[in-house]
Amino acid sequence: MRAAAIVLVVVLVAGCRGGGQPVPEPAAAAVPDFSGIWNPDRKFIYDINDALKPGETLPLQEWALNATTSRLSKDDPEALCLPTGVPRQAPYPWRIVQTPTHIYFLFEGNIHSYRQIFIDGTHPDDLDPTWYGHSIGRFEGDTLVVDTVGFNDKFWFDFAGHPHTEQLHTIERFRRPDANTLEYEVTIDDPGAYTRPFTLYGSHTAADTELMEYICNENNQDVEHIVGKDPRNKYSKDSGTQ
Amino acid sequence: MRSLAFGLVLWTAPVAAHHSFDAMYDRSKTQVMTGAVTKVEWTNPHARFYLDVKDERGRVINWNMELGSPNGLRRAGWNRNSLKVGDVVTVTVSLARDGSRLANAREVVLAGGKKVFAGTAGAS
Repeated sequence: MRAAAIVLVVVLVAGCRGGGQPVPEPAAAAVPDFSGIWNPDRKFIYDINDALKPGETLPLQEWALNATTSRLSKDDPEALCLPTGVPRQAPYPWRIVQTPTHIYFLFEGNIHSYRQIFIDGTHPDDLDPTWYGHSIGRFEGDTLVVDTVGFNDKFWFDFAGHPHTEQLHTIERFRRPDANTLEYEVTIDDPGAYTRPFTLYGSHTAADTELMEYICNENNQDVEHIVGKDPRNKYSKDSGTQ
Repeated sequence: MRSLAFGLVLWTAPVAAHHSFDAMYDRSKTQVMTGAVTKVEWTNPHARFYLDVKDERGRVINWNMELGSPNGLRRAGWNRNSLKVGDVVTVTVSLARDGSRLANAREVVLAGGKKVFAGTAGAS
């Protein structure tokens, strides 16, 4: 009796949709879900050399190599509580918030800020340079592809001090092969600092935490005590390799 | 279902600072100091406390002891009341490279033997 009533309601509702035969809605394309809290990938904190495929080297232009060699850790924008830029990660969790029109990366740390990605958007022609640039995203099957231009040249790629210019163009690819893994690769194309595009590879793991407030500039006493470069740095005199 | 899966994955990010640890501290210069806490700052980017420590001549020097971020400490189970002004603690530190009265507190032990802020000093 109840089943019959439900069938009747369905028929009535379907019949009201424009007369004649009910036309089934086209199935919405399945959009992968990237939402959640993620741990940073250390390879994008300390030295992006760590994120290259084994055997590869960074195609630094001469001035970029010199800049990396001479930069001192006290001048790292991150030490000064400024944003990481892209693709650098801070040692704090971050959250992906996904809507049909935008994807937001909410960062707990360094700084307590966000990236916004316009789904199926286009880049304006007259961008002014910014720390996170202008990001547009599209889905290719199970992959989110994020194309970003309009960066400033202020952030460093890592503690090691790898530079870039305002010509930087990044293409990031995110995949979620299982609920707890966010595979990541980014192709960096910056003809102002590197002799060819190159690709970095990483992976984020799901974090069992919530974002917390982190206002880096509250009491930053560190900069005046930072001396030279990190001695583990490939480009540090202390390491003896450069 | 997903939230259940998330529950199985602990916070595993490296406990790291927002600056190069080794450009600021010398891991090879470890020292153990004992004294009374004079002040606790539960602030970003690092929590810190100040400690009156007698030097070899008997002079009292006030040391600035840097910890990890309040968030990192909180996730490890500590909070701003874990250490109080007047507490006597023994601290194992890495000294600042610039020779100032600043150190990274790697292990903090209360007079009764209880450890606080274990493993959250900001080194990675």
